[in-house]
Amino acid sequence: MSKLIPGRRNLLKAGAASLFLAGVPIAGLAKGKPPGSISVIILEGGMDGLATIPPIGDPDLMRMRKAISPEGYLPLNDFFGLHPSLKFYAQLMARGHASAVHATAFPYTKRSHFEGQNMIEGGGLSPFSEKTGWLGRALDLADVAGRSLSLDMPLILRGHHENDNFYPASIRGSSRPKADLVNMIAMGHKLDAAQIFTKVARKSEDNVQVPRDPASLATYAGRAMAQADGPVASVIRVDNFDTHANQVEEGDTDAGRLARQLVVVDDVIAGYRRGLGKAWDDAIILTLTEFGRTVAVNGTRGTDHGYGSVGLLAGGALSGSGVIADWPGLSKQDQFEKRDLMATIDYRSVCAACLEKALGIDHDVIASQVFLQPDLPRVFDHLFA
Amino acid sequence: MNKQFTIAQKIGLMFRYDENVPQDMEGWIEQQLRAPSPALGIANTSAKVTQWPDELQPNLSKRAGMWRRYRALKKQQREGKNGQDTEAARQANRHENLMQEKDEHRFVQRNVYGADQVKLRLTSFWANHFTIGNTFDTGQLIGHAIDEGILAKLNGSFADMLYGMTTHPGMLTYLDNVWSAGERSVQAKHCRRKPDCQAGLNDNLGRELLELHTVSVAAGYSEDDIRAAAQVLAGWGIDFGEELSAMREKTGSNNHWNAYKKRWAEPGPKKVMGQTIYAGRSGLRQLTDFLASHDHTINYISTKLCHHFISDSPTKAHIESVKSVWHQSNGDLNTIHTQVLKLAINSPDAKFLWPMTWLFQVVRLSGATYFKGWENTHHYDDKLMHTKKVFEELGQSFWSLRQPDGYPNDKAEWMSAEMFERRVRFADAIYKNGRTRPSVNKIMDRIGAAEQTRALVASVGPSPKDQFITLMCSPELMGLEYV
Repeated sequence: MSKLIPGRRNLLKAGAASLFLAGVPIAGLAKGKPPGSISVIILEGGMDGLATIPPIGDPDLMRMRKAISPEGYLPLNDFFGLHPSLKFYAQLMARGHASAVHATAFPYTKRSHFEGQNMIEGGGLSPFSEKTGWLGRALDLADVAGRSLSLDMPLILRGHHENDNFYPASIRGSSRPKADLVNMIAMGHKLDAAQIFTKVARKSEDNVQVPRDPASLATYAGRAMAQADGPVASVIRVDNFDTHANQVEEGDTDAGRLARQLVVVDDVIAGYRRGLGKAWDDAIILTLTEFGRTVAVNGTRGTDHGYGSVGLLAGGALSGSGVIADWPGLSKQDQFEKRDLMATIDYRSVCAACLEKALGIDHDVIASQVFLQPDLPRVFDHLFA
Repeated sequence: MNKQFTIAQKIGLMFRYDENVPQDMEGWIEQQLRAPSPALGIANTSAKVTQWPDELQPNLSKRAGMWRRYRALKKQQREGKNGQDTEAARQANRHENLMQEKDEHRFVQRNVYGADQVKLRLTSFWANHFTIGNTFDTGQLIGHAIDEGILAKLNGSFADMLYGMTTHPGMLTYLDNVWSAGERSVQAKHCRRKPDCQAGLNDNLGRELLELHTVSVAAGYSEDDIRAAAQVLAGWGIDFGEELSAMREKTGSNNHWNAYKKRWAEPGPKKVMGQTIYAGRSGLRQLTDFLASHDHTINYISTKLCHHFISDSPTKAHIESVKSVWHQSNGDLNTIHTQVLKLAINSPDAKFLWPMTWLFQVVRLSGATYFKGWENTHHYDDKLMHTKKVFEELGQSFWSLRQPDGYPNDKAEWMSAEMFERRVRFADAIYKNGRTRPSVNKIMDRIGAAEQTRALVASVGPSPKDQFITLMCSPELMGLEYV
């Protein structure tokens, strides 16, 4: 079913991702655990949705993109195919545990990575308008946990008290810091830094050994979220989707930069599945990318910054599998500014639906208080009905 | 801290444990800006500080030759030829022909042993401004760009540095320009007639030249401006692995830093942000000069300099005064730097130190030998990690794969438990493995540590190691405010 060459995974650089965990309920403070969990995989650089889920039924696809469309795609239905790197994801789709939303984007059309990334993490009405992130604001609303207010990275999680990050250190000749010592150091610091040192002290008390490749981090995150007092949300970043050149390899459209990064995404989803165990049934995983890429190939076997892309969703909380799209077409007059895939679904609505399902917050509250857009359309029923 | 160390912390790398501390700090800054910058370091951990040998600082054509050799041996390795498919041969190929680990090691040793600490801080600022991420091909070039495109250009004009970095093979490779062709170029026209030939415009560098290196998004340019800038850039640069004969044929030159392929260039004039740019090789200099003196560039980079050196929230007066000397001096970097540094040392605001800056300062203050000598860049050492690995663990390296907007200047971006844990652990590792020289008390006396710092260090008990970790992770040594 797939032409994935065994061994390609070995080419991946380990550590091409970093993990953030959030929303650890604090005993006595939490109102009770929300109905599910939410995990976001941020795909940095702008993922090419048209190569990830190629619209094989659109006659313009092969006309415009023959040079970079994956030949070995797996047909999902008459209209959409799936990139051959997404093997595990394909199995989830077959079992009704994965869906994709196509021709979708945040309402950001200026094609800058840095503004775009700020927009998709901040979730405000324009780039750099918010100092907190949409996931952080939602966790705060759900009252999952909380003590202090700190500006913690990444932006998407800011706005919630107890958010924390995790990336195991491996420094030769250093030992795990002694909690007492770090607590003493914390006492010499001002509030914000003191709180961070206190977290360091707390962490140094649990003895976790986790390899740092993206799949292992996802497994760790899944396991942590599966625990009764575990976090409710996690965020993993995968970089290198900015495929201006060599998006595919010469002579093999199923290989190349995008194919390699999609294997990482597939491994991350598989890692979550492994780690979550039974908690998979209430889990939602979704991808997030700052923009899609141009419909046309750019002359260096790649694509330039665009607009509409695809969102990949997985998890037992989904009600079934499918590709959800209001397909805009690929012909020149159907393209956004005559170059990009048009976005016909506001991806904030997809994020809002995932928050509604995972955290049990009302859509109108999410629309107005998380995304600051009271009339944001509700797409919940397309994903979870 | 006393005045000297407060200043050296904010705009330099601290005076090494055995270095004389100057009295006249304003004079010191002037002298620092014009200090010679040999690459200082050590050959092995018991050697004296001397200059790095020339053969470890190859020029571009030597680097290109090594790169071609590396790829040829790699091919033999894949094909199982000439005994190249053994682990030993693979390693020998990497060690002999790849520059990135040696370059990062040299950069780090410079920062640890250099007598030009202020220039080195400015170098890091600009290397970050003109980020070249490590995408494998560029690994061979990042160190060269930092040494020759930044450090060697600190006493010139911003326009020269901008042109130099835009045309540096590292930048042209990192942002894909070496593969870009003008839409109406001879090459693109030729390719349109052939089914498997690909040649077209890639706007990656054109976009970042405007957004990140010069005017920034605040200038409100259009997609057409970006495309026009990309058309001006089309033809510049050549694949670093290209054979010399092919390079000569395409560019008429052996010089990688001036590689212009006419056949890939876009004919005719272009218009970028209202400015007409003429066709041909000289068009790029015309464009970068136009951008270098643009009001939006001056505003954007003056603000960024203030943010990096003065305060997380620089005042309008700070920014205006830097802009004003920029205008008056026509972008003379010495004048601009002098102004920024003077404002920085007169501002009472604390400036949180980047992880790498903090690490260099800890090593310099403590006299630790925490990095291997250049003879041992690739050798395993029980105690001293590979230099490359140190900075991977620290979470900041100019040789990492990262995005072209570089590392943030804002404290908030670095405040996290994982980043702080690294500082505790590195202080621990440096103390245990770096043979630190002065005692914690001696260090505190020399820098004139604040009473709060002394009290904090005393509070953790008598262990010298714990005291060392506490001092280096105190608000004062991290560049944070006290309560």
